[in-house]
Amino acid sequence: MIKCLIDRVTPSKEAIKNRQNFEAILSKVPKKYSFNSPWFYGAIGISSVLVITILISNL
Amino acid sequence: MSASLQISKDHPLFDEVAQIDRAKRNPAHFAPLYKFYHERIFLYIFKRVEEEEIAYDITSCVFVKALTYLNRYEHRGLPFSSWLYRIAKSELNQSFRDKKAQRTVSIDSMQLGVVMEEFNIDENEHQREILLKVLPLMKDKQLQLIEMRFFEKRSFKEMGEILELTENNAKVKTFRALIKLKELYTKHNHQK
Repeated sequence: MIKCLIDRVTPSKEAIKNRQNFEAILSKVPKKYSFNSPWFYGAIGISSVLVITILISNL
Repeated sequence: MSASLQISKDHPLFDEVAQIDRAKRNPAHFAPLYKFYHERIFLYIFKRVEEEEIAYDITSCVFVKALTYLNRYEHRGLPFSSWLYRIAKSELNQSFRDKKAQRTVSIDSMQLGVVMEEFNIDENEHQREILLKVLPLMKDKQLQLIEMRFFEKRSFKEMGEILELTENNAKVKTFRALIKLKELYTKHNHQK
């Protein structure tokens, strides 16, 4: 059942501001892995080319 | 790749979109957006739940969710706040379903007078009581429109942004919600 509250006291701007805690928010965000980043695939690609080049030059 | 709408430097939302792009690359850059929108989102939630502490908890959940899914956010010409309000709406519904929060409508008695004026009814204690009795009988979608327009004094444009409607559609739906409220009021008034 929905409750109607008349002329309810709203917390002050200052009180609301004091409850801000960005660090707590940040700590709750799941860490993301960079598999979807083009940098990840770029680095893998370059190192693969280097390894293949070294292997071929050593043959 | 983001399919966000490209906006020019002189667009009022340019700075905000740039801030969001920075936050997508590094979540620590979300701090200014959090500081800017925290109060607005908290008040939106506070007016819909009974307990203040629960309102703070839900507000935190909204920002955790926003930051978690920020990479999926695409600018479509609407202010960032409309996306945050939509997350808040879904978090609120989840809390009501889980029975963690009691759905509440916070009403300013002055604003109640405005609704009564719309109905052309005399503002007295008896009529007020009937109106307060019939308000919770409305469907949630219609109640939301009355709540936003009359108790939170939002523009139709802002209501449309939050509820994913056009400004005109928000206007029409609010008008229909008012008719429904008046019907309920009249029915209840005759029963007395």
